Amino acid sequence: MTITLIIALAAFAALMFSVRLTKGLALSADVLENPTEHIRSVDVEAFRNLIDRDEEEFLRTNLPPADFRRIQRERLRAAVEYVSCAAQNAAILLRLADAGRRSSDPATADAAEKLVNNALRLRLYALHAIPRLYLGMVFPGARISPVRIVESYEQMTRQVVLLGCLQYPTRGVSAAL
Amino acid sequence: MVRRRLDRQFPMFFLYTAFEVLQFVVLFTTSRSHLQFGEVYVRVYSVGLALSTAIRFGVIYELFKHFFHRYPALDGAGQLLFRGATILLLLVAVGLAVSAPGSSASLMLTATYALDRTVSILQCGLLISLFLFSRYFLLSWRSHAFGIALGLGIFATVELAASAVWLHLGAFGNPVVNLLTMATYTGCVLTWIFYLVGQEREPQYSVKALPDYDLEIWNRELQRLL
Repeated sequence: MTITLIIALAAFAALMFSVRLTKGLALSADVLENPTEHIRSVDVEAFRNLIDRDEEEFLRTNLPPADFRRIQRERLRAAVEYVSCAAQNAAILLRLADAGRRSSDPATADAAEKLVNNALRLRLYALHAIPRLYLGMVFPGARISPVRIVESYEQMTRQVVLLGCLQYPTRGVSAAL
Repeated sequence: MVRRRLDRQFPMFFLYTAFEVLQFVVLFTTSRSHLQFGEVYVRVYSVGLALSTAIRFGVIYELFKHFFHRYPALDGAGQLLFRGATILLLLVAVGLAVSAPGSSASLMLTATYALDRTVSILQCGLLISLFLFSRYFLLSWRSHAFGIALGLGIFATVELAASAVWLHLGAFGNPVVNLLTMATYTGCVLTWIFYLVGQEREPQYSVKALPDYDLEIWNRELQRLL
């Protein structure tokens, strides 16, 4: 009985904590009202370089093993930062696009729908990629390459531009950027 | 629910509420008859409990499907989460059932409460998984779905504790536990009424301007697109 009561209390605490996390503002109103100030620039090319297998192989063959492991860990740590940043950007765009799905303009709603789906995919890939990157830090010799994160992020950014053009047709792409 | 057409949006939950009302009528009638709280009452209660927990499972799956429908990109991940969480929680629950089987002389009662405890663990775990899943993906909860999940979650945790006590006591019902369970269930019903009667609130964001990105990166992406 003790074990079950402990499980029951733990379940209740976990439930209340989860509810609080869900119902509490996952993204504060300030973030959504002023997304410009909260979206961080992500250097996609730099991220590509960090996860590039050829680059990794080059380092592996040209560096002493200990140095390679140290440098690879640093690269992967930086890659985790990039992925986390991209995922956070995706979160902000996701909430904004979610509101756009209810637009009366079908083209805007469609663009917003695509952006929502892509942002969700990015967060899903990030959920897979970050543990793999951390695993790569533990075992620096392992082959880790979350390439799909990059593709998904690029697709998402294209859709943000498209959504921006649809919502602000008179200002054009440069204005949206 | 019928008037607001919520029975079409949440058919399993509607079935659950209808079944609970029916179960109450049957059990109340039985308890007031010459049969009172005898063997027949126990059998009817056990069967009703089994059906009720099965329907509650259906309600939880309905909540998962609610998100799959609104966010198709998460369909695969959501299904995987549901199956994975179910298997994991089932292992935990079965392990617990084996390690702490209960002490009732009645095999039927022991089986009923053990099953109830197992299902409560599953339901609690699935609801917590759903809340965490929606938190990570920042899924927008409509008020109705959230209210249903909240009520179910609270009741599942209290049921879990209650079944543990019943298994330990080996007796059919303890006044304090029964009162606590009934009070909790009443609270859950009030929660459901509160959320289902109220209007669904969509979060409103006034997007003043699109986010500003590094122009060099965006131009590169556009060149690749063209």
